[in-house]
Amino acid sequence: MKKLDNKLIIGIGNNTRKDDGLGWYFLDILKDEGFNTENLLYKYQLMVEDAELVSNYNTVIFVDACKTDLEDGYEIERIYPSEQVAFSTHEVPPNQILNLCETIYHKNPKSYIVKIQGYKWDFEIGLSQEAKSNLTKAVQEFTRNYS
Amino acid sequence: MDKRKIVIEPVTRVEGHGKVTIKLDNNGKVTDAFMHIVEFRGFEKFIQGHPYWEAPVLVQRLCGICPVSHHLAAAKAIDQLVGIDPENLTPTATNLRKLLHYGQVFQSHALHFFYLASPDLLFGIDAPAEKRNIVAVATENPELAKKGILMRKFGQEIIKALAGKKIHGILAVPGGVHKTFTVDEREYFIDGKQIPNIDTMIEWSKEIIDFIKAYHTQNAEWIDNFAAYPSNHLSLIHKGSGAMELYDGRLKSIDSEGNELLNIDDIEYRYHFKEAVEPWSYLKFPYMTKYGREKGWNRVGPLARLNTCTYINTPLAETERLIFKAYTQNKPNNMTMHTHWARLIEMLHCAETIKELLFDKDILGSDLVRKGSPRNKGIGIIEAPRGTLIHEYHTDDKGLITKCNLIVSTTHNNEAMNRGVREIANSVLSEKPEITEPMLNQIEIAIRAYDPCLSCATHALGEMPLIVQLEDSNGKIIDEKIR
Repeated sequence: MKKLDNKLIIGIGNNTRKDDGLGWYFLDILKDEGFNTENLLYKYQLMVEDAELVSNYNTVIFVDACKTDLEDGYEIERIYPSEQVAFSTHEVPPNQILNLCETIYHKNPKSYIVKIQGYKWDFEIGLSQEAKSNLTKAVQEFTRNYS
Repeated sequence: MDKRKIVIEPVTRVEGHGKVTIKLDNNGKVTDAFMHIVEFRGFEKFIQGHPYWEAPVLVQRLCGICPVSHHLAAAKAIDQLVGIDPENLTPTATNLRKLLHYGQVFQSHALHFFYLASPDLLFGIDAPAEKRNIVAVATENPELAKKGILMRKFGQEIIKALAGKKIHGILAVPGGVHKTFTVDEREYFIDGKQIPNIDTMIEWSKEIIDFIKAYHTQNAEWIDNFAAYPSNHLSLIHKGSGAMELYDGRLKSIDSEGNELLNIDDIEYRYHFKEAVEPWSYLKFPYMTKYGREKGWNRVGPLARLNTCTYINTPLAETERLIFKAYTQNKPNNMTMHTHWARLIEMLHCAETIKELLFDKDILGSDLVRKGSPRNKGIGIIEAPRGTLIHEYHTDDKGLITKCNLIVSTTHNNEAMNRGVREIANSVLSEKPEITEPMLNQIEIAIRAYDPCLSCATHALGEMPLIVQLEDSNGKIIDEKIR
């Protein structure tokens, strides 16, 4: 078992909506590679109470599908608490979760976001070929430099 | 005529996405207003052909906020397909389902109040958009925000303990439940060692009712009059006593003066309701057949439930109900913003009921499932957090679903929300020289009072801005605002 000491990886998405499932498939691969499943969290969306959850970890990695064009099909970047707010509890952005965590719990875990470009969002299980390719590259980069 | 049209899309801080269109004439006077539901889900169609026992698992995918309500409404209907009526479930199955349901309503009400409604109440409708959000609440009221998070978490933990996970878990099976509760699981919610316990939840629920009552005293004119209009009110009530009932009961409707319009066995609903459609929305408009489309629509949800019930069977919530009723001299309350007050009384009722159920010996029982003679039709009705939720399924002789009808709470409130939008549009937008942010926010507040769940769409990074568009009569955008 590969340990993820005090590190939480949150896959965000919906695997019944084609490429929206990228965040979950990312975790599936980590699970298959032997990463500690207790530190892998599947979520449809981030919710406000996740501020409490992430306050318990030193490092938090959010993984989500992305509709924006990305040069390599994926991007991993450091993120920080921010006052950016969402318009619905259905989509609380990671930096707002970090902001709530800092405001309420006075904790500031080191955080990253893994964005993986998706292309199709229909009611269907399974990734598009392009998304699969992006997923493979993102996982390789993550396991090489961030795990 | 040079008509103009304002479009607010999506409506902010409601569950899911919606769009509001307000039509103005060339003098800036509101001529009409609509709340559109532009998502199409098609669950009633694509569940056809699936075996009946899949329904409670599949239909809860309608939503990521209230899946438990869909799970249990479908389960009640599926029970009948295996020949089991609600009163014939085992006590263990009934009480575990109720525990799941009250946990769900508790967490949903907490989420709505603390994270969707409190910014409007704490900072006011004139506050800038960047301040009307939970981060600002957390910054200025960290203890309130922390309690909100822990109350939501408590309800979610109840769901996880019973259904295996917080979203889209499974407890109910045809004719019962598939697991019981253990002593350790029960102690987790009672001993307070790992999370604040149920007594703390009751205490905090009382505190937040004190908050809303004090807020009401200071802001009575606004709270009493904002988007207020007479309506009918519909909910389940306890079969024998007429008390508030969220899991199983009779359907009762009263008019705005308190006259009884309907009091029927819940499975008779289809003889008393029809659904109208409009070309500009995917959401239907249910109404009571006897009274017609114009007079037969109902509000559902916390305000309706407080109006239809004769009492609440938990002592602290009943005390608060009496205070709530005294404000309208025991007449039905038609003040839309009092829905928030009613919601918090229900939250207290849920906390009290959860405590009763946690100490009930039946939840530790092992008699989980009953079987009867198969039938081809099942109807399950439940009071979801947002109101009356109806599931109906028909099957063929192989047990495959041939027909499905769902009337969700937000559908019942469709007419009410549209009336609220029109009411506010007329009072704040007509003949004003400019459309300000607070004006637009008032439209959204009128909708948010109903806590509408327009259901989850796919999401991904970089989506979901708030877009406000001003269009001329030809549909040409003449102004646009994104926040």
